[in-house]
This record gives sequence, C-alpha cells and structure tokens, in this order.
Amino acid sequence: MKPNRQVAVCSLLSLVMQSANAADYASDLDYYQDFPVVLSASRLRQPLSEAPNAMTVIDRKMIIASGFRSIPDLFKLVPGMYVSYYKGSQAFVSYHGSTDQNARRMQVMIDGRSVYMPPVSAIDWATFPITIDDIEHIEVIRGPAAASYGANSTQGVISITTRDAGEMDGRSVSVTHGSKGINDVSARFGKRGETLDYRMTLAYSADNGYDNLTTPPNNIPVTQFQANTLLNNSNDSNQARLFNFRADYHPNGVDRFDVQFGFNHDMQGVGFNDRNTGNNTNPFHDLFVNSGFLQLEWLRQLENASELSLCYFHIRHDKHESLPYYLSGRFFPGPISQSTQIGRDEIEIKHTLPLSASNRLVYGAAYQTSQISGKGDAQALSLNYSSSSDTHEYRVFAHDEWRITPKLLLNTGGMFEQDSTGHQNVSPRVALNLHVTPQHALRIGASVAYRTPSIAEEKYPIDRLPRILPGALFVPSQNVTEPGLVPEKLVSREIGYLGEFPDWATTLDLRLFHDQVSNGIYLSSANMIVNGVSSTYQGIEATLKHSFNENSNLTVNFAHELASSNGPVLAAAGQKYLKPASPWISDILSASIPRNSASVLYSQHLTHDVAFSAAYYYQDAMQPFDRGAIDYQPIQRRTDVRVAKAFRQDGGVKGEVALVLQNLFDKGYTEYIASNLFNRRGYVTLTLKW
Amino acid sequence: MNLAGRIGRRLLQPVLLGLLCLIGFAPGSHAAEDLRVLVVLSDSKTPYQNFVNTFKQNLPANIRVGIAERAEDYSSSRQPVDLIVTAGVAAAEWVAGRTATPMLATMIPSYKYAELLAKRPSSAKTTAIYLDQSWARQVDLLRAAFPERSKIGVLYSPTTRLDINELRKRLATHEAALIAKQTTSPGSLFDDLEDILSRSEVLLAVPDSDIYNSNNIRNILLTSYRHDIPLVGFSQAYVNAGALYALFSTPEQLAVQASNITISFSQMRSLPDAQFPVLYSIAVNQEVARTLGSAIKSADLLRQQIDKLQRKAQ
Repeated sequence: MKPNRQVAVCSLLSLVMQSANAADYASDLDYYQDFPVVLSASRLRQPLSEAPNAMTVIDRKMIIASGFRSIPDLFKLVPGMYVSYYKGSQAFVSYHGSTDQNARRMQVMIDGRSVYMPPVSAIDWATFPITIDDIEHIEVIRGPAAASYGANSTQGVISITTRDAGEMDGRSVSVTHGSKGINDVSARFGKRGETLDYRMTLAYSADNGYDNLTTPPNNIPVTQFQANTLLNNSNDSNQARLFNFRADYHPNGVDRFDVQFGFNHDMQGVGFNDRNTGNNTNPFHDLFVNSGFLQLEWLRQLENASELSLCYFHIRHDKHESLPYYLSGRFFPGPISQSTQIGRDEIEIKHTLPLSASNRLVYGAAYQTSQISGKGDAQALSLNYSSSSDTHEYRVFAHDEWRITPKLLLNTGGMFEQDSTGHQNVSPRVALNLHVTPQHALRIGASVAYRTPSIAEEKYPIDRLPRILPGALFVPSQNVTEPGLVPEKLVSREIGYLGEFPDWATTLDLRLFHDQVSNGIYLSSANMIVNGVSSTYQGIEATLKHSFNENSNLTVNFAHELASSNGPVLAAAGQKYLKPASPWISDILSASIPRNSASVLYSQHLTHDVAFSAAYYYQDAMQPFDRGAIDYQPIQRRTDVRVAKAFRQDGGVKGEVALVLQNLFDKGYTEYIASNLFNRRGYVTLTLKW
Repeated sequence: MNLAGRIGRRLLQPVLLGLLCLIGFAPGSHAAEDLRVLVVLSDSKTPYQNFVNTFKQNLPANIRVGIAERAEDYSSSRQPVDLIVTAGVAAAEWVAGRTATPMLATMIPSYKYAELLAKRPSSAKTTAIYLDQSWARQVDLLRAAFPERSKIGVLYSPTTRLDINELRKRLATHEAALIAKQTTSPGSLFDDLEDILSRSEVLLAVPDSDIYNSNNIRNILLTSYRHDIPLVGFSQAYVNAGALYALFSTPEQLAVQASNITISFSQMRSLPDAQFPVLYSIAVNQEVARTLGSAIKSADLLRQQIDKLQRKAQ
C-alpha cells in the first residue's frame, strides 16, 4: 500500500467511524469503507495438498474430542508418532520410534518460538507456559523441514499456534478433578477492543503421574533386586502454576504488534527409590523449574500484498534440585544441589513477497544467542563444579512456492546456518505437488536436514563423576569434551497422495517415505559421545477422515514402519550401548520402532447439547531404545471416552460439564520404563463462561 | 501490484460500458435537446468523485453537467436545471424535499430510497439506481460459488433494514436454507457469530454497520476463518481483508447506468422505475480460497453462471 493511500484509508476509516456514531449515519458508506488485510499470508494455513511436507493438523475440535489434558498426548493422534514419558511429568515425543528420554530430533515451536532447550536439546513439555486450552491448532510436519525450520527439525516439526489475543471476550473458569491426583484449575480473561485485543490465562495443574506397578511387568519373573527398583516405585507427580498474556495491538490497517509473555513454575517428582543398598544416584526428590518468555512481533503489510515481520523473543529456563545421595552403600545426607540456567534471545526478520500471481517468495534471516550455566555442589563429597557457555548462531533462509500451472506446484527452499561452535549447515528442500484432478494430489519431495549436537553432547560431563550423574539434571562440562563431533545428517525422500472423495465425505492422506541417517550420535563404550550410527527408516503412513454427517466425524491414523541400522556391526565391535537388550533382538534401532501403530478418533454431537467422543490407540510391542529387557513395552491398546453436556443459564452464563475416562477397559500397559504403568483413570471438568 | 490490484485484474470489466454508450447515442426519434444536469455529491470523498468523473465522460456534449461538491452546496435558488443526479444518501436526503426538479438518486440503498420518496413532492419525477444488489443476484452468486454449501448464515442487528424473509424465500427456491440470527445486544455479537458459524456453511455479510464495521471486521474474519466458514462480502474491501467472494457495483459502474438514464431522459423527458445496478463486479480472494480448500471459481466463470441463471429466471 502506498503511503498516500494509507493516509486516505486511515482518514476514510476515521470518517466512517465518526459517521457510524452519528445519528444520521450515511449507509452508503458501508459499501465503500476500506478494511485492513486481516487474513494475510502469515495467517493463512497452507492447504495440505500444497504443503511441501506431509502434515497433520490437530485443531481445537480434535483437542476437545481427545479429552487429553496434557499437550504431548495429542501427538498420539499423529501417524507414526511415539509419545511416552520418562517420568509422569517428563514427556517425550519422537518420530521413527523411541529415543532415549530426551527426544532431540524433533523441533517444537510455539507461535514461531523454538522451545528446543539446551543443554540436552530436548523439549521440556511440562514447563510450557501454556495450557492445552490455550492452543488454537497444531501443525505437525512429518519428515524433515530444515529448509523452513532449521537444524534440529530432522525428524519433524511440531508447530503450536496459540489462540489469538482477540479470540475471547469475557471470562471463563474451569475446574478439573479426577483420580491419580488430577486437579486442574484455570481462569481466563479476554477483551476485544477497537485497536487492542488481549487475553490472559492463570492456571494450576497437578497430577500424580503413573500408577504404581505392583506386580512384575509382563509377568516376567524378577529378582528381588529388580523388584526393589521397579515395584511400588512411582514418584512422578507434577504441579505447574502458570500465567500467560497475549495482546494484539493493531492501530491502523497496516501494522500489527503481537506481544506475549508467560511464566511457569513447575515442580516435578523425580528420582527412583532404591531399596537395594548400594549406589542410588537419583533417589526420590523434587525438581523445580521456572520458565518464562517474552515475545514481541511486528507485522507490517506492504504494497504488493507483501508482508514484513520482525520478531524478537527471550526465553529463560531455570532448573534446580537438591537430593541426598548414596554411594557404595554409604548415605550422604547431602544434599547435592544442582542447577542450570538457560537464556536465549533471538531476532528474526522475514519478508513474504508475491513475485507474481503464481509465485510467492519468503526469505529472511535470524540471529540467536544462548547462554547456559550450571553448577553442582556436594559438600559431603567435597565436590563443587560449575560451568557456563555462550553460543550464538545466525541463519538465512528462502522458500519459494511457484504455481507453474494450476495443477503443478513447485516448493523449493533452503537454509544456511552457522553457529559459534563452527557448525555450518545447508539444508535444501524441493517438493513437487501435482493436482492430477482438483480432488487428487500427488507430492514428491526430497530434503536434507541436520541435527547439531547438543551442548551436553559436546560438553559431556564425563570429567566430573565418571559414569555417575547424580539427580535428574544434566550439567554440562565447562570444556569441550568431544571436539570432533559433527551434526547428524538425514536425507529424506517421500511420495505423498492426498485424495478427496466428496461423494463419500472422505479424505485420504498417504505417505511413503525413505529416510537415511548418517553420522548418528551415540555414547561409546569409552563414555565418549561419537558419530557413527547409520540407519534407514522406511514406511507408509495414512490418515483417513470421514464425516458421517455434520454432527459425527471419524479420523483414522495408521503407520507401518521398518528400520535397519549398523547397530549390530557396532555392537559386534564392542559398543556396549548399542548391544540389544534381549538375545532375540538383532538391531537395537529396528527393535525400538513399533512396526504398526494406529489411532481412531470418533466424535458425535447428540441432541440436548451433549457431545460424545471416543478414541482408540494401538501400538505394536517394542523395545525402548536405551532401556533394558525388563522395560520391554508390550502391545498397547487404549480406549478413551469423553461425554460432555453444555448448558446455558439465565444471565448469560454458559458452561459445560465433561467426563473423560482414559484407558476405559483398564488394559493396564507400561511404556518406556516398566514402572510406568497406565491404568484406567477419569476426571470431570466443569467450565463456566460469562 | 497490491492485493487489490491483483484481485482487480480478475474483476469483471464493465464490458457493457461501450454498449450502453452506443445505445445512448443511437439515433432517436427525437433529436436530443440540450439538457442541464446538476450532480449533487454527498461530499468530496473518492467514491463520489469517481462516480461523477465517469458520469461526465459518458455523456454527449449536448448534456451540460454542473456539480455541487457537497450536499449543502445545493439550494433550490440555484439556476434551474432539468435533472438532478444525487450521489450518496446525504445528497439525496438534502435535495429530496427542497425541489420538485426530476431527480435520479444514485449510490443509495434501496430501503433508504423508500424513505426518501416520502419526502419528495408528490408530483416530482423521481427514480434511483440502488447501491445494493438484488437478493436474486446474491442468491445466484451463492449457489454458483458454493453448490455444495447450502446453509447460508446471516447475522444482523435490530437496526437492519433488510428484507430477511425475502432472502429466505429466494434461498428456499434454490434448495438452500437461510440461518439468520439477530444480535441480542452489542456485547453478544461474537457469541451470536459463533452460534451462526456453528450452524452455517457460508457467512453472508450484509450492510449493517452495527456488525460489519472497521472495529469488528477483523475479529469477524478471524472467527469465521477459525470455523473454516467463508465470508461473502459486498465490496472489494471485504475481499482485500479476507472475504472469499464479494459481489458489488463500483461507483464507475453505477455512473455508466446513471449516464444511460440521463441520456434517455434527455430524449424522452421521463424517468424509468427505480432499479438495481445493471453492471456488477465479483471479486475473489484466491489465497483464502486455497486455504479453505474451496473449489475456486474464477470471477468470469461465476459471472457467466449468474447471468445464465438470471436469464433463465426472466
């Protein structure tokens, strides 16, 4: 928009507004008033049939229908995704099977802000300063998207979009009470204004994590030693207190300022009780996390329908723990105190520019600095250590979407990154989408992505307590311990199909993929972090959506996946951490993938404002990547149901009562660690809005 | 080129413009005498200026045009004229009761014109070209653009002067249903909107400034987008902002029709009945169409379909 036109628009808008309040409102002006661009390029979702990657969208309706109260659980609704917990409060979400408890190959963004945290470069789900109800929708990219999201999106990207500042005008209070110590309370307030919208959430959330395992897992006979560590050994409660605020200031038709900040104080029950005398480096204790963020974004509509955005964010993530300590059968009341403080600042500028009616370019650059410091203090052991490091990186990126013909769309893009540890990555991507007919689209894509080593991998705290890491925190070394470590590399190829069958009210999304990882990072027998794992993943994923009628919908997800690696070769060469947990397993990586997994979500609106939904989750048996044979994870079958009744009272108060039963048939299963037992549980939520 | 420009390229051009001019200049049974026309604008805003510029361009030399830039500039003591053409509601209301000179009111909603007639001297010749589109044409657009979406939501305020029942009947004859809701209070707008969106497949915006104004349009569009419900507006600005389609007549298009009536008046000294716009434009927001997964129809194709439906109806 040209400046003189902006002035004209603004003056016309103000004239219209003045007139609107006047008694003699000239109604012909309704037809000639100008409006700002509301649904701009950055707001519009890319249709699945035009995206360069396979993508699953979890929208509010699915979030509600699922009945979940924990954000990571939502990814059970994504084909091929593995969702589990190390402790009840420490979720991890990975793709291509289980990892260790820190899934590092998945990028997670909230409103464009990466929450992939050093030192272990994992996602600390419990410490997000948002609740599941703050989420508008989630886009999950299955497959690498480094060209758009940078290194560390090697397996995929989870992009969470929270609700708009203007999404709510009023107040709501919600209370949840259920078994397993489930107690959630949240209060929301939102206000829409002429030029300013804002909303805020204040919430408390608590639960007691998993159930206690009382009998040996999988009916495998266990030794007294194993029984002591596994049975009745659950200390994994979580208590989060959080606040978030979002404001959208739009003073004119061309500028928009999005301001967000939030805070979460989280207390996690961690550690393992050990009734065996000997070493217990991680007894029951609490881990405290304070995390917060501030995000400022300025969006400006330029002429030619182009859009410029400038975004800055700061995040802070501090953890600390104090714990007693057992070593060689001796009890050290300690306590050992450990803490890590992480801060990150990033600024990004991005320009979305239509080059023509059929070609759109997005390009930009970003600069990021991270600071991490950690310290540990164990007086009884005369041990005192601290470390700190700063890293910075920059990236430049460009992505072009070219509609060569109405049927043919070419997505090309790439990103160049350089960080202060000397890593340089170029991540290109090309994808071709062909609309064979308007209802049937094919996608062929190839891309390269990298995962840069985490700080803890490059500065492994081996120099401190060899082979023993007390507590739950990972405090990296001050010095680089693994100077030769290079990023993991992934080359991905895929073919996708997206079909719409309007006569049957059905859509089908299929993906065939072949991913090849090289320079995979692992822990060597010498307790060094090294490159060397090569692995291949291939499979098929499908999502089918069917609408029986406008009030009942069905979503079915299915994934079949196979993997192979050079794990057996490395194991034969003496790499003990790549040795399979059981003799019947030949390849540790291959066994860590559930060969088949599926989910079904059905929702129906009944009469009298009653809503019903049911979900079924299936996952083949598997051996979690870095766990022992005792933690073998058998077939998982779980059914959840939700029934809700909405009501409206005189005086404008609206509300809803909802009952959720998880694992309805009480088919108790364990996941990742054998003591993580999930039995039937239920909770009731009452929500009032006014 | 900005978004408006890009969409504008796809707009239907006033192809009848030349044709109508030719009709105007066609040899009539009476040689046209000099005609004195006064155009009274509501004020000097761009739409009115565009109207008068096109209006003048389309008149032959024997029609002399004077211009009152603001409604208040007109007084009956001015030099007498043969025809007054008003542009906008304010101009029409100012002029209506002040003179018995024949009057062509343009850029005026049909309900406003009905009110205006009461102010006119009973013997005065009066006609109008409405600003709004007939329900018939709007229903034809909805059916042509969304053959698979038959639930049309309309949200209106208590002050709306629309014939909702007529729209309901029209939609019913085209195998579509009207989901209409009147807002209960200014504070309940978005609750009412949520309710309408949860029951509709398309949201049809109506000229109701209590609802569709620059303060609300942002959240109306965002809310309808969250529901995956396309909005159909009634001006180019709606499509620029994020509506999927809009059906409207530009001031230039109305001016062509007004000049045609003026030429006819210069020959026959009579005015036709008040009428809806002959020329119209359709704007499409391609980006929104793609995101909503709608089968995108071009403005040209929609126009063909609407014209066909209207010919059939005649």
